[in-house]
Amino acid sequence: MPHFAEGSALQVEVADDVLVARAKAGDRTAFGELVERHYDFIFRTACKWSGKRSDAEDIAQDVCVKLASVLGSFDGRSAFSSWLYRVTLNAVRDMQRARSRRGRHIDRFAEVSPEEAPPEQEESATAKELWTAVRALPEKQRDAVLLVYAEDLNHAQAGEIMGCRETTVSWHIHEAKKTLRGLL
Amino acid sequence: MSNQMSDDELRALKQLRTPTPSEAARRRALEASLLAFDAEQKKSAGATQGKGWGARLRSIVPTFERTWTMDTRIAFGLGTAAVALLILPLGYQLYNSTAITPLRTVETPVTQPEAVEPAKPVADQPVEPKDSELDDVATRVAEPAPVLTDELGRDEALQKQAVGGAESRAAAPMSAAEAEQDGVADMGVMTLDEFAAASMPSQEPMMVTPTEPSGDEFTSFEESPVKVVAEEPVSTFSIDVDTASYSYVRRSLTDGYVPEPDAVRIEELINYFDYAYPAAASKAEPFQPTMQIYPTPWNGKTQLLQIGIKGYVPPVAEDKASNLTFLFDTSGSMDEPDKLPLLKRAFALLVGQLSDNDTVSIVVYAGSAGVVLEPTKASDKAKILSALETLSAGGSTAGAEGIELAYRLAAQNKVADGINRVILATDGDFNVGIDDPADLETFIKAKRDEGIFLSVLGFGQGNLGDDTMQALAQNGNGMAAYIDSFKEAQKVLVEQIGGTLETIAKDVKIQVEFNPAVISEYRLVGYETRALNREDFNNDKVDAGDIGAGHTVTAIYEITPVGSGGALVDPLRYDTPTAPDGVTQSSGEIGYLKMRFKLPDATTSQLIEAPIAQDLVVPELAQASDDARWAAAVAAFGQKLKGSNYGGEMSWEQIETLAQGARGADENGYRAEFVQLVDAAASLAPDTAVGE
Repeated sequence: MPHFAEGSALQVEVADDVLVARAKAGDRTAFGELVERHYDFIFRTACKWSGKRSDAEDIAQDVCVKLASVLGSFDGRSAFSSWLYRVTLNAVRDMQRARSRRGRHIDRFAEVSPEEAPPEQEESATAKELWTAVRALPEKQRDAVLLVYAEDLNHAQAGEIMGCRETTVSWHIHEAKKTLRGLL
Repeated sequence: MSNQMSDDELRALKQLRTPTPSEAARRRALEASLLAFDAEQKKSAGATQGKGWGARLRSIVPTFERTWTMDTRIAFGLGTAAVALLILPLGYQLYNSTAITPLRTVETPVTQPEAVEPAKPVADQPVEPKDSELDDVATRVAEPAPVLTDELGRDEALQKQAVGGAESRAAAPMSAAEAEQDGVADMGVMTLDEFAAASMPSQEPMMVTPTEPSGDEFTSFEESPVKVVAEEPVSTFSIDVDTASYSYVRRSLTDGYVPEPDAVRIEELINYFDYAYPAAASKAEPFQPTMQIYPTPWNGKTQLLQIGIKGYVPPVAEDKASNLTFLFDTSGSMDEPDKLPLLKRAFALLVGQLSDNDTVSIVVYAGSAGVVLEPTKASDKAKILSALETLSAGGSTAGAEGIELAYRLAAQNKVADGINRVILATDGDFNVGIDDPADLETFIKAKRDEGIFLSVLGFGQGNLGDDTMQALAQNGNGMAAYIDSFKEAQKVLVEQIGGTLETIAKDVKIQVEFNPAVISEYRLVGYETRALNREDFNNDKVDAGDIGAGHTVTAIYEITPVGSGGALVDPLRYDTPTAPDGVTQSSGEIGYLKMRFKLPDATTSQLIEAPIAQDLVVPELAQASDDARWAAAVAAFGQKLKGSNYGGEMSWEQIETLAQGARGADENGYRAEFVQLVDAAASLAPDTAVGE
């Protein structure tokens, strides 16, 4: 907006889709701003899904890099945030699959790491168990549960992100609840 | 329900506070993304690429009107592959712990020596280029790379990891500790430590989960709802001879997990089995309907209307020449025991079935592209079998023109008045050479109109593009089957070879009109993905399912007779019932069946009609034929497995009993196997307390 001076009160934040359009057209600054704006979101999502800060940082970086090449495929049919969820969740899944193929010894190693949990409030002990169990669910159930309960989305929104129908999300959640009940 | 976790308990998940990302990590990510962006720009400026993210056909399947799904298709494309090469000098840390490589190639690095130097993966990394533009990518990668290492030179931690290679993996706890120092700012209810602790067990095989993420793609669909005859008396659908869903479900259950609802297509479960419907007498009228009406096992107030047809079986003496072109996927992912090796054995079986006037050619794509076997007479079996034997999966050369090559061979060798068919076998990599699915569809349709049909056989699990398989086979007038075992290969390629190869009628549509004076509601069981509009029935331009020699097709309607008390929809308060117009409605006919089909070479359709009369009704289920009770048991199983709204409350045990009593001769043991599947399902998804 050329007629407003820098820092003018009238200057509003440019909407995501405008930035996306500019970035697609090759505007480097717009792309940078877009990534910067959503980095925290990506990181937080990765953190919740993977449960490890170091993994979350890797995943977030991975997603940022990928954005450069896959942004072109974002067609605006879904909200940018939904799309970003999807890209991030894919990255989480791929990292975890790659890791599980790679064997489990590394994680065993990590398990005996010196970082012992400090004393908590009482509720976090159950919370911890819950998180452990939820992360151990099959991917789709986990995604559905986290999107609905941790991210507070409705089944339709979760379906949009997961690329399935609302009823399928409900089904995954139903299955997840059964599984979780058996575990906790 | 105490067997489920409550919503309230799950809401605790919302309490989690995530740590804030460290500045260093954020900066790294931003820099890396900008570099990637620059590389991407440079690439598109080169304009050699077309669509970077569309390199694999699967990535744009949505134009088949499928919904977008969570899949690597969104996240990875050739563009990403190029970026992956770029970023690799970042080192092993990234290389190992993230999934920058396309999903399917991730396995390969595992087997590679861990101590590769950081720079080397550029050459070694099997990124599996999807185009023949490998060289292009490599050169593009070469130039920005130095810049990248320069940037990273500033970041000690990363560089250390990059050089450290494999060791840095083992040192994972250490880097986690570092990460903590980086700034564990505001921890909320849960600390980072808990985070770490909580996540670890997820890597452990500590619990057996009932469903397994499959990675396979299915078209999602809603169950067909109950229709009120007064409002919508006509039901129209296309037949479906595919059986892929049954094999898939069987494999899932045998492996110990419940298949996702979208993977269960009830009509394919029912049609997997052979039914003893009377065969048609002549080639000119290739099938005739067989109908029966009997009580619904899962609902005391409704009935099932079963419509069965069996395709004409040409006499053995009439041995048509066939010209078969095998198009095999030999991408790296086919290198698993249940894929290429099974494929070889399966096709060896098929070759064994051929007679001397048949011809076989073999074309491969995705791994090593090209013609493996020039058209060869089936009399020279040794040559064909040895060509099959030489197939191997792997390699990374893109097979650019696989499908066109296959069709060209098929056309060169076309036999008039015989069977001309391309048989595509794949585990889901449809990178056959035409990468726009709309183009591919058009191509297959055009070839179909020239008389060359296509069948698709799916192998393996984890990458199966079931939706694409179905779409391609439907457009190619062929069937889609899923080969999960040698036994299944035998069924599809030996026992049903006629049906697999020879289409005896195409575009077969079924339309049923119910009489509102007799039937108040109806519901078509299955066939959701095959529904047609009422007006499509008489439109010969609308494509529909095809039936092969000897194939049986069964459709089941659940119908609610007027006054049975089983109606789900209340009558309208302000409806003024129109007096039955004498002859037709009061005839007592339940409905009227119409079927349209075209002979294989015809372009106009023919009509078969039959009234659905009261004398088809069997008052007791026990009096219904074995085939009828069998189909009902399979339908009940499918409905229960996918959590149908209309499945009633049949227990697994009741389904099993019904199936046991209807097995009949079961010469091949398929029905016995089904009974075992019911058992497996019962133990995986036990019947819970009544009402659940």
